[in-house]
Amino acid sequence: MREKKRTTLNPALAATLPPTNVDDLLVSVKYYVDEEYAHIRIKDDKVCADCPHRPCLDFCPAGVFTQDRTGKILVGYQACLECGSCRIGCPYQNVDWNLPRGGYGVAYKFG
Amino acid sequence: MANKLTFDAIVVGGGPAGTSAAITMARAGLQTILIERGRFAGAKNFFGGVLYTHALDAVLPDWQSRGPALERPVTDTGYWLLSPDSVLRFTQKSERFKKVPAESYTALRANFDPWFAQQAVDLGVLVITKTTVTGFLRDEKGRVIGVTTDRPDGDVYAPVVIIAEGVNNLLTQQLGLAKSDLPPRFVALSVKEYLGLPEKEVEARFGLSGPDEGVAIDVFGDATLGLPGTGFIYTDRAGISIGCGLLLEQLVINNLKPYEILARFKNHPIIKPYLEGAERLEYGAHLIPETGYDRMPTLYTDGVMVAGDAAGMVDALHREGTNLAMIAGKIAGETAVEAHKQRNFSAEFLKEYRRRLQDSFVLKDLKQYRRMTDFLDSTPHFMETYVNFANEAAYRYFTAHGMAKRDMEKEIIRLLTRRRSFLGVAVDMIKLLRGMRG
Ligand SMILES: Cc1cc2nc3c(=O)[nH]c(=O)nc-3n(C[C@H](O)[C@H](O)[C@H](O)COP(=O)(O)OP(=O)(O)OC[C@H]3O[C@@H](n4cnc5c(N)ncnc54)[C@H](O)[C@@H]3O)c2cc1C
Ligand code: SF4
Ligand code: SF4
Repeated sequence: MREKKRTTLNPALAATLPPTNVDDLLVSVKYYVDEEYAHIRIKDDKVCADCPHRPCLDFCPAGVFTQDRTGKILVGYQACLECGSCRIGCPYQNVDWNLPRGGYGVAYKFG
Repeated sequence: MANKLTFDAIVVGGGPAGTSAAITMARAGLQTILIERGRFAGAKNFFGGVLYTHALDAVLPDWQSRGPALERPVTDTGYWLLSPDSVLRFTQKSERFKKVPAESYTALRANFDPWFAQQAVDLGVLVITKTTVTGFLRDEKGRVIGVTTDRPDGDVYAPVVIIAEGVNNLLTQQLGLAKSDLPPRFVALSVKEYLGLPEKEVEARFGLSGPDEGVAIDVFGDATLGLPGTGFIYTDRAGISIGCGLLLEQLVINNLKPYEILARFKNHPIIKPYLEGAERLEYGAHLIPETGYDRMPTLYTDGVMVAGDAAGMVDALHREGTNLAMIAGKIAGETAVEAHKQRNFSAEFLKEYRRRLQDSFVLKDLKQYRRMTDFLDSTPHFMETYVNFANEAAYRYFTAHGMAKRDMEKEIIRLLTRRRSFLGVAVDMIKLLRGMRG
């Protein structure tokens, strides 16, 4: 278990990123939510607790990963766009990633 | 085992690779089933993007008469080098692009893919949707003889299975053909918005004379904060597709939100006027494998072939993926037809699939650009340095300062060396050339 080299983006450049509420984007997406099966889960909460930078909170394009007041990672799988980034991008391979059951999940109207 | 569901061939995935394979096999008379997890083929699929007609010609020669779901022909295409306050455009617009059919068309995948799958249905393919393939059925020797699905009694048998499952290649990994997930340095995460805008407005803003013209532009530099990646702008019939993709590793190590990078790109003073008043009709995200030739999975085993994104068949430099997928799907289909004739589905025989791919542009191109992803990975500053430099240099060049031209040339050189040492420039150029020449 290790984390890759980190770079810090020039703070002046980072400051030019407009704060964006991902929910404003997600209202345009159509989903068929499977209430009975969460296709994405955290394998081990302890690993997240020790994860220094928690990149999943940022790189997930649907904001599926959030943290509660205690710092525990919550997974709002219902908003998932099934891109696969968290499976690959979590530095500790701590995301149990599966395909939703057939027919469930995102259904693009335009694509 | 009364009603064992048996076919001549199974295809997993209803994207360009899978549908092309299914069409090819059905036309040769094989009983073919295509299994797709989405509500319809295309429900899960998402790209920029541009489709290439050479691939359609190869798979479905009469595609034009079948009412294909395409947006606009690409008649104006190229690169924009975007700095924080300027753009330098390298685009070509040509009457030569205006033939019917055009070389390429913009498209929306939730429209195109279902149309393509319907052509397969019309040619006799059984397309089963809302069904996720979960694993494989094997004979006593461990050879694949079918697939399991998440449907009750959902086992399906066939002597040959073509896997066209896309970039998240869980099945390819399950068979051990791909050793592991791609590391985040070899995969790009793209986000895109599809914005609705009246046809006439699209045409006015992009200088198009009518629905038989369209633009496809890749934007480098500030679109992705100067980090390795690209932005893109494509005109659809009554809308604009705008997005950006970055190597996933860059998002991870910089804790960046992809949709904020896109919001920033849309807000850029050069870009914003094109989008004014357009309404967001959809947002989405998808990975692009930048696997590279040397890291591609094994393409076949007993009873199985792998095609398209599942095998990392993307030429990221030229934003080509669908055409590689279609041609690979077709070649896999042809190999399956041949295997049926010979009644031989062994890895030894299916090796022929790889051999034929090697003779096609698919593996030739992937081999030529084998170093391209490594290039981006090893020169993360490339975009920012050179895109900003090019804009600065152009600014000096196009404005009169009352400065002797020789002094201006010196200043331009200084601008570059301030950003990067001479040696650094030389090394970057050699790496870039190597990436392009193979
Ligand atoms: C933002 C973006 C822009 C792009 N721009 C371009 C472009 O301009 N031009 C271009 O040519 N290419 C472009 N590409 C690349 C192109 O989209 C892909 O290369 C192409 O779609 C690959 O086709 P495929 O059939 O291999 O996979 P996909 O199109 O991903 O299809 C895979 C299919 O398999 C299904 N599936 C997966 N697993 C299962 C399972 N277990 N059971 C059942 N079904 C399953 C999926 O639902 C999906 O329908 C772009 C990609 C992105 C993300
Ligand atoms: S899921 Fe991965 S990236 Fe996110 S907090 Fe847990 S360990 Fe860190
Ligand atoms: S698959 Fe993509 S959209 Fe879904 S949770 Fe993971 S990163 Fe987010």
